[in-house]
Amino acid sequence: MNAPAFADDMQLLNGNHAVAWGVRLAGPDVAPLYPITPQTPILEKLIEFQSSGAFQAELLTPESEHSAMAAAIAASATGARVFTATSSQGLLLMHELLHFASGARTPIVMFNVNRTPASPWGFWPDQIDSLSQRDTGWVQLYSENPQDSLDSVIQAFRIAEATNLPVMINHDAFYVSHSVEPVSLPSPEAVTDFLPRQARDIQLGDGSGRSLGAPIDQASWNRTRRDLDEAMKTVEQFAIDASQVWEKQTGRASAPLEFYRYHDAEIVFVTMGSMCGTAREAIDRLRTSGIKAGLLKVRLFRPLPNEALRDALRGAQHAIVLDRNYSPGTGGVLHQELRSVLFGTQDPPRLHGYLAGVGGLSVPEERLEALATEVRDTVPAANSLWLE
Amino acid sequence: MLEIVILGRGGQGAQTAGNLLAQAFFSQGKYVQTFSTYGGARRGTPVTSSLRVSSSPIRQRCNITQASALLCFDDSLLDAGYLGQAAENALIVVNTAKPEDTLMRLGGQRIVAVDGKTIARRNKMGKVVNSALLGGFCAALGQPGLESIAQTIENSAPAKKQENVAACREAFGLLEPVLERV
Repeated sequence: MNAPAFADDMQLLNGNHAVAWGVRLAGPDVAPLYPITPQTPILEKLIEFQSSGAFQAELLTPESEHSAMAAAIAASATGARVFTATSSQGLLLMHELLHFASGARTPIVMFNVNRTPASPWGFWPDQIDSLSQRDTGWVQLYSENPQDSLDSVIQAFRIAEATNLPVMINHDAFYVSHSVEPVSLPSPEAVTDFLPRQARDIQLGDGSGRSLGAPIDQASWNRTRRDLDEAMKTVEQFAIDASQVWEKQTGRASAPLEFYRYHDAEIVFVTMGSMCGTAREAIDRLRTSGIKAGLLKVRLFRPLPNEALRDALRGAQHAIVLDRNYSPGTGGVLHQELRSVLFGTQDPPRLHGYLAGVGGLSVPEERLEALATEVRDTVPAANSLWLE
Repeated sequence: MLEIVILGRGGQGAQTAGNLLAQAFFSQGKYVQTFSTYGGARRGTPVTSSLRVSSSPIRQRCNITQASALLCFDDSLLDAGYLGQAAENALIVVNTAKPEDTLMRLGGQRIVAVDGKTIARRNKMGKVVNSALLGGFCAALGQPGLESIAQTIENSAPAKKQENVAACREAFGLLEPVLERV
């Protein structure tokens, strides 16, 4: 969403505290958590809520992120509503269990703060930590600002529980996680209406003596992936529904794909996360000088809304893909995905891929404004280019 | 859009100052965005806090490179690199006991000195200078008003509320005549 307009129910919160508020309102039963910079303020705020009596979840603090995810899977399999949060190295340590969680169809909601992975050590905004988990069967959402993060947490529980898929929401370190700004808090009643408690299939702890994740034969394993595929295909519509219902309750939409000054745009920026906000500023400047620019914000990255992306990009002359990530040997992950989406379509836009802000470098709106002019007379390179 | 950078050393309260200033502007109905970047930062190492203030929603998420004003907690940090983050004619408020004309500046930048340490001590605040510096900074900047920043400090101070507010008010009072000069 765009930055929210002023409202009476606004508080100044940083992105991580906005996440904690979303979690408090969604009311999970269990929250296994392990601290890591720059995620830790989420954990700290939840502990503060719990000690004041405002947050009732059972908080578990195991010895590693791997154990936190193991606890989350087990708790979710008993039918509990489960939340966890991590960042970078922590997410990477969970990797094995991310596959397990989606295979076991546990609707865990996890918040990941996008941060550079080692080596070398860094703390800076970069999305390669979560993008490198794209094949683990988790739904992935990318948030632009603290309000978007709060709203996405609440919507994520609805999507997860409707599909029995785990959902990971991501926001950029510091530019969102530590950015303090006005955030509108929905009422507890609105969230309860939006997220009713529904009876779930209990896989563990119902006394029937079933096992979870036991060895099975090839055909049965194959069947689980077909089931996962069917579930993934329903996510986009559930995300659209969640956005529409949420918009009715709060006035704020957050759809799988979002558009800004888009309908007549000839040059479109396509990006995810905090870069969308800077792109909006650049687009306003470009429009002022008569250049028809627009934004296509990819909020739902897994499953990627392929058809909707094809429809959206039809008609644009140039698409500038801004990747705050670098996949060695490939380039930008979103650039790669969009080439795949557009392959074989009639009259696709010229797709210009840029590695922008990798490692947390600041990308000012003036640079994006200049980039839109630069690409107009350029034949796109096959590979992503480093933004200078 | 008003863009402010606060420069200090880890542990001096630069990040807290950014949050308090944001709160004071927010209480006046302004949109604000403040963020700090840190990671390896430890007590004593340089840290910056950035603040944007606007009458319309703030969307960009990038560093401030041409700040309208800079508040510096420690005169030993004033170098061309940090001063270069502020605009050509920016207001630079520095916590220092040195005379203004001995402090570094770039181009037409306007330097204002606040002796935060002395003001803090006089108000029984020990080494905690941020309430005094905020008072001085707001006076020099001309916004937000004294009552907004004093009220924000009073609401937020975990201890010594009256002493914090007194330090803020004293520095605000001292700085007004200085501002007329620049």
